[in-house]
Amino acid sequence: MRSNAGVIAVTVVALFLGVLAVTQIQAQDVYSRSLQLETPASLTTLIANLSERNNAIKEEILDLRHRTDTAREAIASGKGSLTEAERQLSPLRVFAGMSAVSGPGIIVRVEGTFDERALSDLVNELRNAGAEAIAVNTARVGPRSWFGATPDHALTVDSAAVSGPWLVRAVGSTEVMYVAMTRTGGIIGQFQLIYKGTRFDVTRESALDLPALATPLR
Amino acid sequence: MTTTASAERTRLTHSLVLLLPAVLFGLLVSVQWRTQSDRNELTVRYNTPLLDAAKTLQNEQNTLKAQLADLRAELDQIQTSASTQSGSAKDLQARIDELKLVAGMHERTGDGVVITLDDARGAAAAKDIEKSICHNTDLTDIVNQAWRGGAEAIAVNDERIVGSSSIYCVGSTIMVNGTLMSPPFSVVVIGPQNDLLATYDDPTQLRDIKQRRDVYGLGFRVSRASGLRVPSYGGALNVKYATPR
Repeated sequence: MRSNAGVIAVTVVALFLGVLAVTQIQAQDVYSRSLQLETPASLTTLIANLSERNNAIKEEILDLRHRTDTAREAIASGKGSLTEAERQLSPLRVFAGMSAVSGPGIIVRVEGTFDERALSDLVNELRNAGAEAIAVNTARVGPRSWFGATPDHALTVDSAAVSGPWLVRAVGSTEVMYVAMTRTGGIIGQFQLIYKGTRFDVTRESALDLPALATPLR
Repeated sequence: MTTTASAERTRLTHSLVLLLPAVLFGLLVSVQWRTQSDRNELTVRYNTPLLDAAKTLQNEQNTLKAQLADLRAELDQIQTSASTQSGSAKDLQARIDELKLVAGMHERTGDGVVITLDDARGAAAAKDIEKSICHNTDLTDIVNQAWRGGAEAIAVNDERIVGSSSIYCVGSTIMVNGTLMSPPFSVVVIGPQNDLLATYDDPTQLRDIKQRRDVYGLGFRVSRASGLRVPSYGGALNVKYATPR
């Protein structure tokens, strides 16, 4: 009788435990990845990023409306649409990495141990901060660029070796990129903790000259 | 004397049998309680308006991107019809079209591979949450690997990867080209299938992801696929500071 009671008690506990374990796994499953569980701080960052991007799209919409009208008028008056085509060409050449570019921006200098994944993360972070053109040493980073490493610890950009110290140059809004890199808890701060002994310097630059992609894309 | 000792032992065994589940039970209750207590008062007070704001902005962005796509198509059409007029306009238009193709401004279709990435599900996942969920760096590694394998076009959950794209992570939400997304992720890659498969199979590559798949059950699968479609980039071109030389 006594031992039966014990078995029943254990069964009840085990059952309850099972139910709880399942609830726990499900709770994490649903909560962990949904927007609803983000902290107010994360949500605020997301909102700032979204609204910045929406503003950029709005600006381009306004610009395109104006250009569409101008192109229509030009064609109607027999002037053709050469001017509009020329205007379209230059941002596209920058965007595709097909032309050498000049402009303000920042330089991230890395001296010491570093690897291709960190370089890829750094480029990702610069792009998120609005970098319009990026180069690592003399190699321009294009839309399809990839990062690798050679057996002797040099890094590669599109299979061309680039050895340290690395100068990652980015053209774009100097202040936005500078703050994105150097803010507390930002990528440089993280690198400094992971790659102890490696030196990271971020500088604001008023004029940078970046080369075009070595091999044009097809 | 012996009988008492044996009864004592049996009681002790029973108590021990109950002890283990009791401890586990306590552990689970506390974990459950902590999960809930993370949503503190501040979170509850500010999250609703912030969530609404984020959703409104995302919806606005979808509308804006649709408008942008319409305008781009309209201007394209004007340009194309005008470029039939003169030889130089025709050449210029051909160069623009070529640039748009490599920059990701046109939709692409073709064969390639599809990579799926998802949070681990099941018991193994509970061992280490950090290692069993997808991170933005997993996606940047997967995309980097695709370019290495000769990819011509890539999209992550229907967002085209272009020169300005970043895979950004805030909290546990991932943003690509300004679009909010969460797992599962589907990375569609158009390019040479055998080279792409070989680069993902290479045991020296993506070691971290593969190890987490084997140990924690992270969802990671690469499969050959035909008739894939990668949409055109729908965001802003955003070239303000860089001038071509």
